[in-house]
Amino acid sequence: MTSFFENLISTFPAFMEAAWMTLRLTGVSLVLALVIGLIFALMKVTGVRWLGIVYNGYVGIIRGTPLIVQIMWLYFGITQIVVLSAFWAGTIALAIHSGAYIAEIFRGCIQSVDKGQMEAAESLGMKRALAMRRVILPQALKRAIPPLGNQFIIGLKDSSLVAFIGITEIFSLSMDNAAVTFKQLEFYSIAGLYYLAMVAIVTFVLSRVENRMDTAK
Amino acid sequence: MIKVEKLHKYFGDLHVLKGVDLEVAPQEVVVMIGASGSGKSTLLRCLNFLEMKNQGRILIDGKEVDPATTPLNEVREHVGMVFQHFNLFPHMTVLENVIEAPVHVKKVPKAEAIKRGKELLEKVGLGDKGDVYPEKLSGGQKQRVAIARALAMEPSVMLFDEPTSALDPELVGEVLEVMKGLAADGMTMVVVTHEMGFAREVADRVVFLDNGMIAEQGDPETFFQNPQHPKAKQFLSRVL
Ligand SMILES: Nc1ncnc2c1ncn2[C@@H]1O[C@H](COP(=O)(O)OP(=O)(O)O)[C@@H](O)[C@H]1O
Ligand SMILES: [Mg+2]
Repeated sequence: MTSFFENLISTFPAFMEAAWMTLRLTGVSLVLALVIGLIFALMKVTGVRWLGIVYNGYVGIIRGTPLIVQIMWLYFGITQIVVLSAFWAGTIALAIHSGAYIAEIFRGCIQSVDKGQMEAAESLGMKRALAMRRVILPQALKRAIPPLGNQFIIGLKDSSLVAFIGITEIFSLSMDNAAVTFKQLEFYSIAGLYYLAMVAIVTFVLSRVENRMDTAK
Repeated sequence: MIKVEKLHKYFGDLHVLKGVDLEVAPQEVVVMIGASGSGKSTLLRCLNFLEMKNQGRILIDGKEVDPATTPLNEVREHVGMVFQHFNLFPHMTVLENVIEAPVHVKKVPKAEAIKRGKELLEKVGLGDKGDVYPEKLSGGQKQRVAIARALAMEPSVMLFDEPTSALDPELVGEVLEVMKGLAADGMTMVVVTHEMGFAREVADRVVFLDNGMIAEQGDPETFFQNPQHPKAKQFLSRVL
């Protein structure tokens, strides 16, 4: 146990740097994923056939293959065409992955808004796009917050998989340490602690946001 | 004002409107009655193109509306609709509900829309509720807001689809009062309702729909006293 705390303390600076990388990977990829998810969800709910097919293809492929395969595919595939740092390859892979799940969240929330809302908006002379922006989306986005929070936490933990394309974030740092010291259990536990702490922070922030939304409308 | 010629509407194989002819004159109040499932809502919804007709012609303000070539949102600006379940926008205050379309569709300056919106809320007896969210209102109040919201677009005709059917009985009167006021102001109205008292008192004409066809129509006095069509007799004996 003493060695555990010694290791925790001695690696603290390195892990803080790695945690910062994890946060950046997660933050940037989730912002991109929100944009991707919203665009795809809107494509799907237009009811235009070929847009729906594109949506189904995207979501189907992403949900049907493991994230690690997607990361490898992007890293070894895209970098043959364009020069892309490991960070951006990882970030984009995570964004495309979370984007599919977030698209499903947005789609579900948009479709859960009572269809009388769109009818009322249209009967007032609003075009569909305006009605979507002013009437449907505000209601849908509010409903999306809890499942999005859940998806953010999954995204944070999923970022550990970019360790396999050589990005130094929490998980890869613990792998390195474990390999050098042969203290696998300790270092993977340390990794777990960092994730636990970060998830706790994200959870706290999300609960504040949700409370805000409840009281403020 | 509104003219419908040989209107047919199918939902899949279900033939819901079977050649409806209807004309509504300016300032006329037409009350549409009929059994559940006879096609009243569908007819009303065809009039502002929430449902698309399959055959026939619909003329609004003398012009035929062809959904393929006419921007429907522009037609709908002139055709107000009030729904059974109000369909207020829950994320907006009462006043925001009322000014939403004038500001974002008609591009009325916001200050002017607010002034007009407050007048309309006053008119439906809710002058003090502008800053409240719809969830805080009773059903009758919600429906009066919905009426004010539709009026804010200054439509040339108002369609009502069972506006009091979702209300507790004691709240029906306040909504009917507002509608009577509208009729007295000369608004052209097509009203689907089961409130026969309202029909007698306010309607210029009663239209009885049966199985997707207009089985009988006439002035309320004659129709209620002496219905001709057997289905109309049967219907009235049940509701009166
Ligand atoms: N969107 C729809 N899809 C399929 N059938 C429908 C739809 N809307 C209405 N119908 C059917 O059309 C018929 C007429 O319905 P409706 O116009 O709502 O009647 P009413 O308002 O007179 O009760 C009913 O049989 C109803 O089930
Ligand atoms: Mg109906």
